Amino acid sequence: MFTQFNKIISLSFRDYTHEWRMSGCFVLALASVLAPMMILFGLKFGIVSSMINGLIENPANREIRAVGSGRYDDAWFERFRARKDVAFVIPKTRALAATIQLKSPNASRIFSTEMLATAEHDPLLVNVASKPQGYYQIVLSESIADKLKVHKGERVDGSLVRQFRGKRERVHIDLQVVDIVPVSVISRKMVFVSLDLILATESFKDGRAVTALGWSGDAEKSTMREFPSFRLYARSISDVENLVKDLQQQGINVKANISEIKTVQSIDHNLSIIFWIIACVGAVGFSFSLGASLWANVDRKRRELSILRLVGFHGGKIILFPVLQSMYTGFLGWLLAVLMYLLAEQSINQLLAPSLDIDQVICYLLPQHFFWALALTMFVAATAAILGGIRASRIEPSDGLREI
Amino acid sequence: MPVIYSLKNVVKSRVVEDAGFRLRVPSIEIKAQENVALVGHSGCGKSTLLDMLALALHPDSADEFKLTPIDDKSQDIARLWQKKKQNQLAKIRRQHIGYVLQQGGLLPYLTVRENIELPRKLMNMPEDDSTRSIARVMGIHRQLDKLPGLLSAGERQRVAFTRALSHRPSILLADEPTASLDPITARKIMAVVMELVKGLKITMITASHDWAHVYKMDLRSLHQEAEVVENGNVYQSTFRD
Repeated sequence: MFTQFNKIISLSFRDYTHEWRMSGCFVLALASVLAPMMILFGLKFGIVSSMINGLIENPANREIRAVGSGRYDDAWFERFRARKDVAFVIPKTRALAATIQLKSPNASRIFSTEMLATAEHDPLLVNVASKPQGYYQIVLSESIADKLKVHKGERVDGSLVRQFRGKRERVHIDLQVVDIVPVSVISRKMVFVSLDLILATESFKDGRAVTALGWSGDAEKSTMREFPSFRLYARSISDVENLVKDLQQQGINVKANISEIKTVQSIDHNLSIIFWIIACVGAVGFSFSLGASLWANVDRKRRELSILRLVGFHGGKIILFPVLQSMYTGFLGWLLAVLMYLLAEQSINQLLAPSLDIDQVICYLLPQHFFWALALTMFVAATAAILGGIRASRIEPSDGLREI
Repeated sequence: MPVIYSLKNVVKSRVVEDAGFRLRVPSIEIKAQENVALVGHSGCGKSTLLDMLALALHPDSADEFKLTPIDDKSQDIARLWQKKKQNQLAKIRRQHIGYVLQQGGLLPYLTVRENIELPRKLMNMPEDDSTRSIARVMGIHRQLDKLPGLLSAGERQRVAFTRALSHRPSILLADEPTASLDPITARKIMAVVMELVKGLKITMITASHDWAHVYKMDLRSLHQEAEVVENGNVYQSTFRD
């Protein structure tokens, strides 16, 4: 009957607010169990996940290096660039051809530096906003930038030397430093350039002309280029093993950090297990403590529930009374726990962030995590109250009447 | 007058602290507008019998347990219990019976007015002056907006009677309604209740261990006798007309 249903909602709410001290205690008890669990998860999804992800996605662990030199044409690179398990692949020229002398006005020495071709999506240059474009832009590694005493935006002089028709020739090229890669990403002295520049360099050293840069020599080679090596990164460490297998099947001898990958994977796996154990123990403990207190509450309410039955409420509707009250407790407790969590999250992030020197926030939860916390709370609250309520509705109306 | 309650060989047993207790009702008939008292010392089963009459407690066995409310068809209560028709019992209780408990049994979170009107609202009865007029007769019309916790024990019992009568039941049951009151207050309240019951043509059954009221008021008292049976293991109490 609709009247009874409405009446039960309003009665249960009236009772709940009338007993606000008791209700407040239940809400506090719930929140004080839920909030620490949320903070634990906040830490798991914040710092721990980002640290593990850092290990997992570390470019060094995803790199597959060719051993010795081979012959790879554009079609080969296209094919690998198209693969889903390949994050980045770019040609490498001969080491001797890929060397450039760098000189800056701020430092007296000239540094002979290895060049690496780069492009968009290079894992080594993830945090570099502007990739080197065309012939005149470069990105320096921090160690060589320090030696040259140059900063982002400044210019350096690059020069190349060759023996051509018995004469020693040198060409200069004015280069702009568009960015600097921190030493945490790459420790070696290294200059990242566009593929265009590194190809021009190779042409020059092979004695050919590069008209775009005004370098003279033999006629430019227009046929298909082949490269002796490549720089290749898998999409994630779990793709490495498969890629290595494929490459080896093509007769390409490669190396990868398979053993390190195994270590990282097992750390990730074990930490996840530990977290899930804590989570399960926490969730079970939370369910029991919430369930027990709500069950006890139904018992405490027996006399009033008996009176409601005596006045003429149906047994089934009576169950709603403690269930609704548990829902109020569940919702308010969750709300309080969320507030407590947000406060803790703010404090943790503000107190610890400066000392940890990472861009990632230390503690955070996604909106769906809050939703799942609410769903779990409501489910446990309703279940405990329904079990207690069924018991309360089964007893005869007279049973609860004369309890003190 | 027509018979309202008709009970034959009704038995209810309970185990209280390892001692057996058995309530026996060989035969009771209560007629419309009768004013009946269940008299006996405490523990003799008055409340148990009253709860059964209020359809709040099921009998262990009964050859007959019939309730025939005024202007309604006869109900086989024993069968309804047997078939666990709890909701139907709740419905009969809601429509025909008002019950006053020793401690009032008021809901502490509702005002006096809301307590009184709760049975009416459950039956979708329209609001009218009758609640107010009963409250006035009972002398609690000035307390309507207070919570029960602020009232004296006597006032709470007055409210309990008002609530029990608010939905115009034809049967009023009262379990030791004056036990927690001083004799003067008790007599005053019972006198008012008697007036109302007579005026509203209601059948009233009261349990009381206090003999004094019974002699003062014009009540029919049911006979009660107690004996120890089954080698002293069971205390048996019998009520009869």
